[in-house]
Amino acid sequence: MEPIALPDWAALGPALVLAVTALLLFVVDAVNPRKTNRPLIAGTATVGSLAALAVAVWYLLAGVGTPTGEGGRGEFHIFGDPGQFVIDEMALFFMVVVAVVTAMVAVASYDYMHDHAYFASYYSLVLLAATGMATMAAANSLVTIFIALELASLPSYALVAILKDNRGSVEGGLKYFLVGALSSAVMVYGISLVYGATGHLQLEAIAEVIAAGDAEPYSGLLGLGVLMLIGGFAFKTASVPFHFWAPEAYEGAPAPVAAFLSSASKAAGFVIAFRVFTTALPIGDLAPMGIDWATVFVVLAIVTMTVGNFAAAVQENVKRMLAYSSIGHAGYALIGLAGFVGPGGSELVMSAAMMHLLVYGFMNTGAFLFVGLAEYWGVGRTFEDYNGLATQAPIACSALAVFMFSLAGIPPFGGFWSKYFLFTGALSVGSTAMIAVAAALVVNSALSLYYYSRLVKAVWIEDPVPGREGLSQPVGLYAAIVFAAVMTVAVLPGFGPIADAATSAATALIA
Amino acid sequence: MTVPVEYYVLLSLALFCIGLFGVLTRRNALMFLMSVELMLNAATINLIAFAFYHGNLTGQVFALFAMALAAAEVAVGLGIILVLYRNFRDVDVTVPSTMRW
Repeated sequence: MEPIALPDWAALGPALVLAVTALLLFVVDAVNPRKTNRPLIAGTATVGSLAALAVAVWYLLAGVGTPTGEGGRGEFHIFGDPGQFVIDEMALFFMVVVAVVTAMVAVASYDYMHDHAYFASYYSLVLLAATGMATMAAANSLVTIFIALELASLPSYALVAILKDNRGSVEGGLKYFLVGALSSAVMVYGISLVYGATGHLQLEAIAEVIAAGDAEPYSGLLGLGVLMLIGGFAFKTASVPFHFWAPEAYEGAPAPVAAFLSSASKAAGFVIAFRVFTTALPIGDLAPMGIDWATVFVVLAIVTMTVGNFAAAVQENVKRMLAYSSIGHAGYALIGLAGFVGPGGSELVMSAAMMHLLVYGFMNTGAFLFVGLAEYWGVGRTFEDYNGLATQAPIACSALAVFMFSLAGIPPFGGFWSKYFLFTGALSVGSTAMIAVAAALVVNSALSLYYYSRLVKAVWIEDPVPGREGLSQPVGLYAAIVFAAVMTVAVLPGFGPIADAATSAATALIA
Repeated sequence: MTVPVEYYVLLSLALFCIGLFGVLTRRNALMFLMSVELMLNAATINLIAFAFYHGNLTGQVFALFAMALAAAEVAVGLGIILVLYRNFRDVDVTVPSTMRW
């Protein structure tokens, strides 16, 4: 017996906590509009995101999502059964990713945005976007998916353009908005076509219609709809063919916002892609109709990782290099969908993609926050401007070295393990296409080592830029960077539980 | 006598293509926004026609949500276009090009 029985809707707890925190920030700012209490606002946002993290971890440990046969509490469905929202292990796993990235961004932004006029608006927008991303993790119907996606996107557009007098920020925001508006229109048209072919928007209901063969006469509509849905996901995850916005938006945006978008927003994009394609569009029934979406993802994965890494290799601007590398990592995570062959056989590759997104959440957020630190110091944006920073800020630069080697996938760090699992997972599927994907993964990782180590070399080996004054040590930025570095290293001994959680999440999703 | 659903789909497809054409050719950010609205409305027509065809209300309800979201998107978009104008003295989407690779 439970001492206190929570109602079913409380299963959506992490998202609700984030939403309440966002509203609380409005209240805090409205109490005294003439004066901004910066520590209180940043503190509220941080405590709120940490509370969401705690609730998500607590639910995971309490067995929400674990099948009842294994001593868990089973999946929770909200608004019907099967419902519009489902809280399973994958939803909680990605809520953890979103909440932890939000917490790091909230801490780091306190220093980065210290003299910004719209401090409270900034934090409310971050928390609202985080709410959207956490909701995306649990959305189980094309309606809730689209609404949650817009809830995550609309604040993001404003966040990128929040430095209103900075031309780069406004330009980045404009490009992000234009591509985003176009891709969401394409996606909602795709949703309408899938609805036309199946008559349902709820994911399990769509799968039932397809499995019964009732969608067979409309396979043309359905195929076009699926292709358009892929376009919507490609935008959110910054994959080819809707990746153009990423370099501009990340370069122009404030660095903490770039960290937030490239880690949390990308993870949220992947969670809806995983759920839609594995739950609603069973490959076994669709492939005979000519809608073989796994093959599309094979092509997208290879093209995305190649475009991202090759473009990153020729960048002179550090933030832009990280933006292209983020496109490359989207390509790695796409392997999870490319290797999908139905229940039995794809659990490993799908769980590897989830693990990669979690580890990426730490190492990539940390790397962008280091760029934020460099912008805070005002040292400049190119590789040469970063020369010799290690002599003045050894702690932050050690953390940077950890992030870079982990992103490249060098053995002692977390990034190695997730890439290793992706590689073995791709090989375990065994098809020729997946062997090509695995080969592309290795080649691209080797190439990425070149530009990641170039940054480490600039920071640690090159002579310092003459005339640079003593660099300050902003507490918030340092705390977030060091935390990200510690976690990037700590996931190494802790990889067993993470791998177990991801594997059981993937198994539950695919079954 | 009712109009067959195919005609609605053709109408929405035409509307979608007009919107897409506008997105690809217009340089004025406001015209771009209007073209995106056309594409969203094409989807709405589809949703309502299919809801009628399938005999359930799911599509109609989603159409209401889609319209509300479109309005919210325009609100954010106009805000961004406003700061664009303040910074660049123009709403031509090809003018801001400070970042190139």
